[in-house]
Amino acid sequence: MTASRRHNATVRGEGARTMVFAHGFGCDQNMWRFVAPAFEADFRTVLFDHVGAGGSDVSAYDPDKYASLDGYADDVVELCRELGVRKGVYVGHSVSAMIGVLAAKRAPELFEKLVLVGPSPRYIDDGDYIGGFSEPQIHELLEFLDSNHMGWSEAMAPVIMGNPDRPELGEELTNSFCRTDPEIARRFARATFLSDNRADLADVPAEVLVLQCSDDVIAPQCVGEFVHRSLPGSRLVVMKATGHCPNLSAPDETIAAIRAFV
Amino acid sequence: MNRPLDDDLEDLFESAPCGYLSATPDGRITKANRTLADWIGLDSRDLVGRRFPDLLNIAGKIYYETHFAPLLRMQGFFHEVALDLVRANGSPLPVLVNAVERRADSGEPLLVRITVFNATDRRRYERELLDARRAADSANGELRELNLTLEARIAQAVAERLKAEEALRQGQKMEAIGQLTGGVAHDFNNLLTVILGGLETIGRQIETLPASLTTQRMERSLRMAVHGAERAATLTARLLAFARRQPLDPKPVDAGRLVINLADLLQRTLGATIELQSVAGAGLWRTLADPGELENALINLAVNARDAMPGGGRLTIETSNAFLDDDYVRTIPEPVSPGQYVLIAVSDTGSGMPPEIVAQVFEPFFTTKETGKGTGLGLSQVYGFVRQSEGHVRLYSEVGEGTTVKIYLPKFVSNDDRQEPATSAPTAVPHGGDETILVVEDHDELRAYSTGVLRELGYRVFEASSGKNALEVLQRTPDLSLLFTDVVLPEGMNGRELADEVQRRRSGVKVLFTTGYTRNAIVHNGRLDAGVNLIGKPFSFRDLAAKVRDVLDS
Repeated sequence: MTASRRHNATVRGEGARTMVFAHGFGCDQNMWRFVAPAFEADFRTVLFDHVGAGGSDVSAYDPDKYASLDGYADDVVELCRELGVRKGVYVGHSVSAMIGVLAAKRAPELFEKLVLVGPSPRYIDDGDYIGGFSEPQIHELLEFLDSNHMGWSEAMAPVIMGNPDRPELGEELTNSFCRTDPEIARRFARATFLSDNRADLADVPAEVLVLQCSDDVIAPQCVGEFVHRSLPGSRLVVMKATGHCPNLSAPDETIAAIRAFV
Repeated sequence: MNRPLDDDLEDLFESAPCGYLSATPDGRITKANRTLADWIGLDSRDLVGRRFPDLLNIAGKIYYETHFAPLLRMQGFFHEVALDLVRANGSPLPVLVNAVERRADSGEPLLVRITVFNATDRRRYERELLDARRAADSANGELRELNLTLEARIAQAVAERLKAEEALRQGQKMEAIGQLTGGVAHDFNNLLTVILGGLETIGRQIETLPASLTTQRMERSLRMAVHGAERAATLTARLLAFARRQPLDPKPVDAGRLVINLADLLQRTLGATIELQSVAGAGLWRTLADPGELENALINLAVNARDAMPGGGRLTIETSNAFLDDDYVRTIPEPVSPGQYVLIAVSDTGSGMPPEIVAQVFEPFFTTKETGKGTGLGLSQVYGFVRQSEGHVRLYSEVGEGTTVKIYLPKFVSNDDRQEPATSAPTAVPHGGDETILVVEDHDELRAYSTGVLRELGYRVFEASSGKNALEVLQRTPDLSLLFTDVVLPEGMNGRELADEVQRRRSGVKVLFTTGYTRNAIVHNGRLDAGVNLIGKPFSFRDLAAKVRDVLDS
């Protein structure tokens, strides 16, 4: 199976340069539905789903490979090489911001520019470093996920339990948006929220734009500033948009910021 | 008109059985109903201005930001999302949340309406359901596992059963052979006693004749006959040993010392090409066994080992303390008590034996030796002696590797720290007496032999063929000194009962028992009761003379 098939890659647009959009924890390539079309006139756009999300090949999921972000970065490298990406633009949201940094260091020829939307190299506070979450909070999250009684999993429970009498309980969420396998989502959460990639911010071989939302509980502004400081020559844009998903809540502002950078 | 309707709607909004929230598109609360405020434990005015995810626990916040807010933005609603609100007092409130985004015609999001259902009960049911599901899965898994391994387990059970049946058959066969052998040997023993007695009488008569060529020839023939009869007696003794009907005289024995004392004899038996090594364990317990028979057993094993090592080799005799546990004794066909034992292990470096031979080695007359080279009674003696001593014997053998015979004899437990007596004193020169002796024996020839010997020694002898008969004789014999009786007697009264009755009537009368075997009232499990005098058959003139004098003088 090709990496394109495995990742349900969608290639659109015209242009000599390629812009790759990577979704974060939660949802799938639909996250970019309000942003990516704006670049199809000037770029070849590539959207894809991480293994376990959206239309990806769930059978390719390997718990060992995806126990850390490196497995996801390897996928990005493999996919982009298969698609002949060179000197492209990588736009990564949330945890995929750091996945992009890892991929760029692994294959410097792929990307000339990186756009990091709501990046966080470490979610847990560590001494002077403020990640936004205390260690007990993250463990509370992981325990909730493991108890199989959290949000997505809970709503999916009738489906998980194979209750054929009430398919509508599962149907409501298994729509075309944000399909995700609950078990894989649990592991992805673990890989994401326990990650510490601060050291990987050194010597990133690409120009970097950090897009930081106001009032983001997942990646607070101080984290965006830390990333900016750690990447000499990077640009930091603090957006008016609130929350963690400006690509959905403020697509125009997001598009403008990216366009100004590329 | 509008006023009451507004009031109704207001009332419905505030006190509906679910929580209602209105929020800006980015989730900031603009209005909350009383039901929700009560659940949380705040005034509804305090909720205004906060963001909806702020009401959730940490996991809820993260999931709301990463999953549900994007979903609401993309599809315009989400339904029945399970989340936990955090009450003012810090406790969680499980809820199901529905949300819908109201949009302007241009698609611009205007506001978000959120409905919150208390899901405390439902969450509990779900948890029970999931637990039940997990339990069922686990039970299914075990069942599948069981089915998968069923065939193998049945095969194993059948194999174990067959093995147990085979062991039982082997045990029963040994028992049956023992019964048969014991019966034959016992009768044969009586005959031998008569033969040997007759030969001795002939010998004494020849001594009275003037020496001549004829008497020399007679003496030579006599020696050959006696030698043959003695060898036959040895064989019979071994048969009786196998049948566990030999009279044993168990004493506390230091097996380590016994092995050392026996080393010279064993080395001579083994010959120069076989090295003898003995290893005695430290702090060795004493065992309760007949030392003579234990020596015989070790000699028998040495002979077998020698024959298994025609090109030379090494024989190792090890002694140590051992413990037979419940699990082990369950695996062996004979009844053996679990507990402390003294282990005597005899190992050779010889040719070894295949399993089908091992299965038969303890049977009498089974031999792998050429015709004329072995009697097939060596290991039978070992088996019989050990079993009669309430011990256990195990033979391990591998073709080409050698054989180990392990003898387990019960540990001697007693406060009485008796020393084992020194090797039997040289037989005293026989001398007789003039006391009155009553000989009770149902075997006519044997009775005739015994009475003949005793009369020759000068005693006054009366005889009887049964217990009843003996008591009649007793009536007419006021000065009886000794009752010499067979243990097994016909007509319903055995030797012990007779002895008890005689002693009841005449308290001073001494008793000497004789027996070919010991399965009877006087000797329990082949062991002598303390204080009982016994002479085993076959006995010689000299033996009987010494024993009778001994008992009379005691």
